[in-house]
Amino acid sequence: MELEALQEIYSSVRALGAQIIGITPELERYTRALHKKLNLPFDILTDLHLMVAEQFRLVFTLPDYLRDLYKSFGSTLDRFNDEPEYRLPMPARYVIDEAGIIHAADVNADYTIRAEPSETLEQLRTLSAGGPDQQERRKLKQ
Amino acid sequence: MPSLQERLDEFKKSFESGAPPYNAPQEAIETMHRATAELKATGIEERALKVGDRVPSFSLFNQDHAQVDSTDLLRQGRFVVSFFRGHW
Repeated sequence: MELEALQEIYSSVRALGAQIIGITPELERYTRALHKKLNLPFDILTDLHLMVAEQFRLVFTLPDYLRDLYKSFGSTLDRFNDEPEYRLPMPARYVIDEAGIIHAADVNADYTIRAEPSETLEQLRTLSAGGPDQQERRKLKQ
Repeated sequence: MPSLQERLDEFKKSFESGAPPYNAPQEAIETMHRATAELKATGIEERALKVGDRVPSFSLFNQDHAQVDSTDLLRQGRFVVSFFRGHW
């Protein structure tokens, strides 16, 4: 649902001079299928063994009792993600400015809660307008 | 059109009703709630990278096995990155 929602704002994001990327620990054969199925206009990157998610400090290990439950549902992370330890990233959406600084962050341990894409668009707009953050940084540079 | 959160809530309601097509047992739902509450209680959200932090540089393969570098992305401007668990 997150990906479909981002797809809906894609052209507005591009119009604001920005790009979208998705990052998942899933193996490429699954991202390829997902990308095709949703006909996504942006890239999905495979973060093998959660190396990048680790750097964003988003990674957690599923407790044993949840691992067993997911296995009973047929969600075998060791197969989809080559992840025998059953680690996952928290869902997160970041807006990053051209200097590589995080301008907005939405991180939630509850995977059923997400920020609205319209909020993400708004955050990009404040960046374009030279929001308070940027003005502050310019002042610091002077 | 319903918002993303409305769509997520609708899915959650349907899943947690225990009805088809998911037929989720009540016990499984409670287990999932417990896991989410425990994860939240660890304070992991506060430790994640936040506003003002610099993004780590990365180089990953996309769905077509083409390499995508964060430095190339930044050269083109700003970007939105979404971390998600997968298709399942």
